[in-house]
Amino acid sequence: MFGSMVKARLSPDPRVNHLLASLPESDYRSLAAHLEPMAMPLGMAVYESGDAQGFVYFPADSIVSLLYVLENGASTEIAVTGNEGLVGISLFMGGESTPSRAVVQSAGHGYRVRGVVLRKVFESSGEVQHLLLRFTQALITQMTQTAVCNRHHSVDQQLCRWLLLMLDRLSSSEVLMTQELIANMLGVRREGVTEAAGKLQAEGLIEYARGRIRVLDRRQLEARVCECYAVVKKEYDRLLSAVAPQPRPN
Amino acid sequence: MRQQWSVEANRLLASLPRKSYRELLPGLDAVTLDFGDVLYEPGARIRDVYFPSRSVVSLLTIVDGHSALEVGLVGCEGMVGIPLALGVDISPVRALVQGAGAAMQMSAGGFRKAFEASAPLQRSLHRYTHALMAQITQTAACNRFHVVEARLARWLLMTRDRVGSAQFRLTQEFLSHMLGVRRVGVTHAASALQRRDLIEYQRGNIRILDNPGLEAAACSCYRLVRQRA
Repeated sequence: MFGSMVKARLSPDPRVNHLLASLPESDYRSLAAHLEPMAMPLGMAVYESGDAQGFVYFPADSIVSLLYVLENGASTEIAVTGNEGLVGISLFMGGESTPSRAVVQSAGHGYRVRGVVLRKVFESSGEVQHLLLRFTQALITQMTQTAVCNRHHSVDQQLCRWLLLMLDRLSSSEVLMTQELIANMLGVRREGVTEAAGKLQAEGLIEYARGRIRVLDRRQLEARVCECYAVVKKEYDRLLSAVAPQPRPN
Repeated sequence: MRQQWSVEANRLLASLPRKSYRELLPGLDAVTLDFGDVLYEPGARIRDVYFPSRSVVSLLTIVDGHSALEVGLVGCEGMVGIPLALGVDISPVRALVQGAGAAMQMSAGGFRKAFEASAPLQRSLHRYTHALMAQITQTAACNRFHVVEARLARWLLMTRDRVGSAQFRLTQEFLSHMLGVRRVGVTHAASALQRRDLIEYQRGNIRILDNPGLEAAACSCYRLVRQRA
């Protein structure tokens, strides 16, 4: 199913996205004609909180962060979605708008499709419904675990969790990211992130330079991270096991 | 006020077209949920779903074996057992009865059958799930940024709205799990609200004395979630 990935193209095969890859062939074909490839540059707002959404987005090699923005402008990340999922569940769940903001956190490509098109497929195919709803349940687990992690775990542990979530959704061990952006994601002060990243660097787990974080020792990150990472990963693997999990690079 | 046992007391059931809801009726049992009852444990199979009418159920995520945090609150506006409506039969959270009272109970098997057969029930539950996710999102941000006193005020108001009464039972330990803070933090926050004559708190009983005052003391999250409900 992932054979076509080898072909080097500007826009990757839509089925790099695990959800698209798991659709029954006939449902995929009804969507394929409507899929618009798009570049998803760092910082691009996929949608703003309170917006009515017109499109559902399927990241290919990009990662989108769902952020909650408070009235005073402070923000915190609620979940991340990469090639394992989609952004815009309210379009098939039936909520008009969403309270979160979706921002591209790791640049790359993706595909989008009009909500009305996806909704039609969702309503007509039991398998599509089944798949998208399971993804929704996995997303809920990620959200609730992030909430509890924010409350109970140290910035170090949260940074480890965040890096591992990114790595699982990237094809390299390098994350392009400034400390300020990480601070916004985690909802902590920048100094907190600097300190935590400094610690991980001193111990040889990561290398940090000019907006680039390179993970040197994934195993150690996994040893340092709080249980929240494993809980979410297990749930995604369990719920989306039909969704062709690719071997992940270390 | 409608009679306590009527199905209509759960707004989700009440919003269904008459035909759909008549089809559900035979599978529904009126039950009373007791304070402190655990309906689901994380990772365990869901055996029944619940439509609270006068009861309130708290959804808790547990970490490190004991620390808990409330991520959602379900009352007469919703259903406990949402994973089943998403095709998943295992609960990721603990569901704990936080306000004793009436609910309609349905077996997981019965629910699944009814759910598959009823498009209005599907639509209504998917929509509710979306609202619940909004609540989870808001709670996550609120936990992160707002002070305990404002969060306690929000939480008391949300409980009031679901219990339909300004008076309810709560232990400090319970509140400390809900808010994810140590007991001493809860004590401080509760005393502060009490000193301002917004609540009365005695031996595990809470009484809201000043509704507008408590609403002003709560963080903006209360208003925002309420608007969306």
